[in-house]
Amino acid sequence: MTSPGSSELRGNPYFWYRLMGRDEEGYDVYELFIGPQHPASGHMRIIVRLDGDIIVDAEPDIGYVHRTMEKLAEGREYLKNIPLFERATIIDAANITWGYVRAVEQLLGLEAPPRAEYLRTLLAEINRIASHLYGFGIAGIMLNHSTMFMWAFGDREVWVQLAEDLTGARLTHSYIIPGGVRRNLPQDFKEKALKAIRYMEKRLQDYERIFVKNPVIIARYVDVGVIKAEEAKRLGIVGPNLRAAGVRYDARIAEEYGAYPELDFEIPTREEGDAMARLLVRIEEIKQSMSMIKQILDKIPDGPIFHEKYYRMLPPKLKEFVEQTGRLKLPGAFIRLKPEPGEAVARVEMGHGEVFYHIVSDGGIKPYRVRIVTPAFRNVVLYRYLTRGARFMDLPAIYGSIDYFPPEGDR
Amino acid sequence: MAEDVYKPGNLLVSLKRHAAAIATGLRYLLSTKRMTVRYPEFVIDLGEGYRGMIRWHRDRCISCSLCAQICPAAAMKMYKLPGEKKMYPGINYQRCIFCGFCVDVCPVFALEHTPVHDISYEELDEMIYVPTKFDTEWVSPAAKEGARPVKVVFDEEVGLRHEPQ
Ligand code: SF4
Ligand code: SF4
Repeated sequence: MTSPGSSELRGNPYFWYRLMGRDEEGYDVYELFIGPQHPASGHMRIIVRLDGDIIVDAEPDIGYVHRTMEKLAEGREYLKNIPLFERATIIDAANITWGYVRAVEQLLGLEAPPRAEYLRTLLAEINRIASHLYGFGIAGIMLNHSTMFMWAFGDREVWVQLAEDLTGARLTHSYIIPGGVRRNLPQDFKEKALKAIRYMEKRLQDYERIFVKNPVIIARYVDVGVIKAEEAKRLGIVGPNLRAAGVRYDARIAEEYGAYPELDFEIPTREEGDAMARLLVRIEEIKQSMSMIKQILDKIPDGPIFHEKYYRMLPPKLKEFVEQTGRLKLPGAFIRLKPEPGEAVARVEMGHGEVFYHIVSDGGIKPYRVRIVTPAFRNVVLYRYLTRGARFMDLPAIYGSIDYFPPEGDR
Repeated sequence: MAEDVYKPGNLLVSLKRHAAAIATGLRYLLSTKRMTVRYPEFVIDLGEGYRGMIRWHRDRCISCSLCAQICPAAAMKMYKLPGEKKMYPGINYQRCIFCGFCVDVCPVFALEHTPVHDISYEELDEMIYVPTKFDTEWVSPAAKEGARPVKVVFDEEVGLRHEPQ
């Protein structure tokens, strides 16, 4: 939407209507600008037009945290793009870089060993839980339920700590690299993870009592911001927002990557398509992820964590170090990975939904072009379609339930 | 879970749910389940494997410059020291993102992560470590002031506990 008074509007016959505070049809509308100074989940603006208390139209205005990631990627070697893309969705770093690494692996003709695929899946699921808890907390504070915010962010810390034990970094793991992963599973990891899971299971029951089944939340969430399957498909919605509308689509099943084909899990869906359904789907996904983590830790195969082609290049002393500490060393040749000319696409299911990568290689050491379609970018359209006709007080409820993450949408 | 949130409730159901929510809140108010660490009286011992401040050992370095080449943030740079033929790496902590690629690529273990992460600077220039400054041990300022180290322990009841060592 163009702002009132911009030059294009001068020739617009409705300009004078707008000046009088009326819209095209002559209704009284009030224009409200929310943001861009961090309305809740990051920098973005929502331009809301209100008729009394009813939202006539809401326009998401994004781009305030655009960092030209696709362009920056063209100037960096393949490996160096991993820490870059991580910063699109810092709360879900493993999943967003996994898509990129899968595409690079296709170009290089590499496949990670089975143990590495399991470790990737492990971190991806830990990240998914952390990402859902983050969204959960933000959704809570948007309804002024600060307890939920504190709890979800506090419990996220448990999963962040697990990820730190595995990778050495809290959020920016840079763990998944072409050909494998950077660290082996620590000795006591299973025990810690099982404790975290049991803790979380108990906490989810408390979440239910204090938040999900709280009559205040039910009143704010049930039948609010409804989207049905057909409409969601037409708009190209992804992730839990799509599954809450009753469409059983998940890249983990569609693409069969990582260890997912060998794991037993369900894709939670709901029919209602309202804010409550989106919340319930996310909670169910947290449970599924915890079950997957248990299965991974039971079944994880032994073997190398890095592709033989590069591991072979390491001198014996470094190999010995890797065996002993479980921390990978990189060969110098890894700095300038040089794939064949060609194109590759890959998609991965993140906490927010499906991320899609398209890489074009001209045979050089840097990608010719990288296209990223992030789930947040595909879901941002929901602001417009879910809010029309809703009451203004429903806007924060809808906003929170979409789990929109501006840095991811803007890249 | 929570199937019945969609069923039309009545006053009694609502009252029960309100009571359950308040009781849950009260339970947490009375029992002290806290994960917070009272830094700087206590400081978490992050242990080996944490990707913290980087220690460079000049005596081990072979000046191969791989660390500077792999750095995705251009934080690591090779410097020429006066009176020396060889180039040595220096790091700029304004830029470093602690990805640890430099540590992973160093063929002679001249670069190592330390668990120290709580360094603060008064001036930007202090964050640039030329080779002569880079070759020193890291000390956590909190630990130097006598903070007690605590260890992170996973706990089924509290989530994370911090046990003094
Ligand atoms: S940790 Fe990463 S960003 Fe920092 S100096 Fe090493 S390679 Fe560069
Ligand atoms: S990679 Fe290691 S040996 Fe080579 S220049 Fe850097 S610190 Fe020195």
